[in-house]
Amino acid sequence: MKERTNEQWLMELRGANPDEALEDLYDLLVRGLRAALDTYGGGVEANVEDFAQEALIRITGNLDSFRGESRFTTWAQKIATNVALTELKRRRWRDVSLQDLFARREAADRGPADTQLTPEQLAFQNMVLGQLRRIVEEELTDRQREAVVAVILEGMPISEVARRMGTNQNALYKLLHDARRRLKRRMAAAGHSPKEVLAAFDEG
Amino acid sequence: MLKRGDVVKLVRVVAETREIEIGCDECFEQLGGFAELELSGAEASSMMPLVGDHLDRCEDCRNEFEALLTALRST
Repeated sequence: MKERTNEQWLMELRGANPDEALEDLYDLLVRGLRAALDTYGGGVEANVEDFAQEALIRITGNLDSFRGESRFTTWAQKIATNVALTELKRRRWRDVSLQDLFARREAADRGPADTQLTPEQLAFQNMVLGQLRRIVEEELTDRQREAVVAVILEGMPISEVARRMGTNQNALYKLLHDARRRLKRRMAAAGHSPKEVLAAFDEG
Repeated sequence: MLKRGDVVKLVRVVAETREIEIGCDECFEQLGGFAELELSGAEASSMMPLVGDHLDRCEDCRNEFEALLTALRST
């Protein structure tokens, strides 16, 4: 494949004869995706070409947004992996609604306290748990609580939770950041250091 | 709503929270540059600390970064 500078890529893709550049870019994206998605197992190979095609559309439609903060091919590869990962996440979580997640959570037994604890340790754990519950209840909006549970506690991808909550990933990240900061301030005010709490729950 | 088993996870995540964090869009915008630094052997996290920070705490973005690194290494 012909070596191109960023400027050459842009010029050819914007020019009257973009076909050779498009083909070279497509091949590059397919190779990159094959390697990147290697761990995702079977069925993905069939989609690598579709992902590369979709990426090409996004790339050629957004050439003006390339700001030269990296090589053009890096920027293009980034778009391709984003197209692929977004779709793969969507498939993996397709059948899980937030309601399912919360219901599963309610039903799951998170386990009683460790029976090896002394009464003092158990009392401390219960007090901390009570404080945290109160802080979460008082400090956070309903939406923040929902997001904290789904993303932080249940591990659903932030992009998937965002879609279900009718927002976008970036906005949800900021919502969560605000929630985390509030919790941090209140927890500090409650007087127990994270180290102390983690040690009490045997994870110091 | 909060269960005993949630405490460790929540306290850890909250303890690592900083006043200033960039969001996913800003991280994504800079991911190409960050990945290239990483591949060149430079300490990408020292040179672009806010990006490194975000990747430490955001699994979605970390997966994007790792996929991009793998793609770049193979091409």
